[in-house]
Amino acid sequence: MSRFLFPRWTNALLPLLLVAGATLPLYVVFVVAYGFSPKTLDVGYMPSQPVPYSHALHAGILGMDCRYCHNTVESAAFAAVPPTQTCMNCHTQIHRDSPKLVPVRQSYETGLSIPWAKVHKLPDYSYFDHSAHVNRGVGCVECHGRVDQMEVVWKDQPLSMGWCLDCHRDPTDRLRPVSQITNLAWDQKTQMTREERESLVKLYHINPSENCSTCHR
Amino acid sequence: MPRLIVYAILISGLLALLPPAIIARVRATPDPNPPVHIFHDMDFQTKYLPQSENAQYADGRAQRPPVLGAVARGETYADTHYYDGVSGGQWASAMPTQVPLTMELLQRGEARFNIYCTPCHGYDGAGNGIVNQRAIALVSNAAGPVNGTVWVQAKSVHDETVIVQPIGQIFNTITHGVRNMAGYGSQIPVEDRWAIAAYVRVLQRSQNATPDQVPADRRAGL
Ligand code: HEC
Ligand code: HEC
Ligand code: HEC
Ligand code: HEC
Ligand code: HEC
Ligand code: HEC
Repeated sequence: MSRFLFPRWTNALLPLLLVAGATLPLYVVFVVAYGFSPKTLDVGYMPSQPVPYSHALHAGILGMDCRYCHNTVESAAFAAVPPTQTCMNCHTQIHRDSPKLVPVRQSYETGLSIPWAKVHKLPDYSYFDHSAHVNRGVGCVECHGRVDQMEVVWKDQPLSMGWCLDCHRDPTDRLRPVSQITNLAWDQKTQMTREERESLVKLYHINPSENCSTCHR
Repeated sequence: MPRLIVYAILISGLLALLPPAIIARVRATPDPNPPVHIFHDMDFQTKYLPQSENAQYADGRAQRPPVLGAVARGETYADTHYYDGVSGGQWASAMPTQVPLTMELLQRGEARFNIYCTPCHGYDGAGNGIVNQRAIALVSNAAGPVNGTVWVQAKSVHDETVIVQPIGQIFNTITHGVRNMAGYGSQIPVEDRWAIAAYVRVLQRSQNATPDQVPADRRAGL
């Protein structure tokens, strides 16, 4: 009976196996941490919209303020997507025969809503309030990115619980005067000193809560 | 070492590079597909949020519009001065008592004017906002108006016919619009419309002021 012997070339595999054994756990951790992070799974969601409406044109080139359309953002939890009437303030005249605006005109005539796809959506068990942030000097750009440069809106930030808490633990560097909240090009890190931002914390009495019941109510 | 083993090692090494490459790609490119929800937990509950859909209704709106003619408690709109800018059958010439004229009100009015009115009327109210400029460019396109655009020059609030208007009439213009200008009554709450009307007065005063109207101690800065 002949005994099984590992062939001589397997010796060369030994260091290779050691290297693989040492890197594999790291590799798995890396893939799971990055692959399943909300930054990979959630960021970049860009649903196609029923109308080729462009923020880059309206909010960027035409310089319209976000609140012209999202007019509840300062007074309510929900930042309303504008009704068709708001578009028709201008589009009864401007580009009034444009093929791109057919769904808008249809909606105006029938009274039915335009089926805009929702981009940012927290799970239903979490509570978020726009007015609490916007009136306390947290600008749109902190959570939505440079919407004024987007042709189609995408999700720029993960909106995960860890991300919310990162800011709630220390919002100082992410605060701006309330007059600049819709000015997405304005950067508090270059326009203000740390001391000025700290004085905003006092001025607006900012003390964000980390209690579970703040966001899970 | 057998070829097979060498290839197996090389291929598995290459395959191991694949997941990081996919992750890097997913991170760098926007994606039209909804985020993956492996565990649904209680992410999607059977409740209706603002502006959400409800297939039970013909128009699909979960948020029901009020029945025609419904009046909210305490909102009878009986105060014509406050809600319509009309007092004693004529355009009101003073602010209603609910919104006293204060510095805060004027600052509020400035901010609101800059949001809702500047696209067409410009920051100084002279009627040369960016949308107005674009619209005029679209109308005067060499090959004919683009997509059938029509446009009437946004009127300057410094026009003689506007300067003589009582403040109630300006309030009414904001609420219901005028000729080719749409009304902003549904977009702007009543107090803010009064604040804007007051700020239009500020613009009219400041843009048409003469040096002797400037307080004596400020004239040096002119
Ligand atoms: C002319 C009107 C208009 C203006 C001005 C405007 N928006 Fe919008 N916005 C819309 C419409 C319509 C949608 C829905 C369609 C879409 O997502 O593109 C929308 C969608 C969004 C969304 C995504 C909402 C979702 O579904 O999650 C964000 C975020 C947003 N806007 C931010 C902004 C910001 C920030 C500004 C100011 C720089 C701004 N908008 C200015 C009309 C406007
Ligand atoms: C304050 C005025 C104003 C409002 C309100 C407005 N737009 Fe526009 N929009 C414009 C102007 C001006 C242009 C043309 C810009 C150009 O061609 O340079 C335009 C262009 C467009 C175009 C491109 C049309 C084409 O054929 O190229 C689309 C689509 C559009 N708007 C959709 C919308 C939608 C949807 C809304 C409502 C959420 C809206 N707009 C609200 C002023 C407005
Ligand atoms: C602190 C972060 C934060 C800031 C600041 C912020 N948003 Fe949002 N926004 C969110 C989150 C989170 C959602 C998703 C809310 C949900 O699903 O309940 C959202 C949703 C929206 C929506 C979709 C409608 C809704 O309410 O779900 C619009 C439109 C919007 N934001 C516009 C704005 C504008 C305009 C500003 C600036 C004036 C702004 N947001 C500032 C975090 C923020
Ligand atoms: C960029 C900073 C920032 C981010 C990101 C942020 N917040 Fe906040 N949040 C604040 C500040 C500042 C306040 C105001 C604290 C105060 O009132 O003292 C606040 C207050 C709140 C409140 C309290 C409202 C109230 O009624 O008291 C809630 C709820 C809240 N945030 C939820 C969230 C959720 C959910 C997220 C993530 C989707 C989030 N926030 C992300 C800065 C942030
Ligand atoms: C600043 C707001 C905020 C606070 C404070 C907060 N959460 Fe959350 N939490 C969120 C948001 C937003 C989500 C949803 C994240 C997502 O998109 O998956 C969430 C998700 C969760 C989930 C579900 C996670 C999952 O993926 O299934 C649990 C469990 C949870 N939170 C527990 C807690 C507990 C316990 C506390 C108190 C220690 C707490 N949260 C405090 C905002 C908050
Ligand atoms: C979409 C562009 C647009 C916007 C936004 C707009 N206007 Fe106008 N406005 C016009 C046009 C166009 C006219 C001239 C109408 C005509 O003569 O047919 C006008 C006329 C006026 C007049 C003169 C009315 C008269 O009796 O002759 C006043 C006052 C006025 N607007 C105030 C405002 C105020 C205040 C706002 C902000 C709430 C505003 N407008 C927003 C386009 C606009």
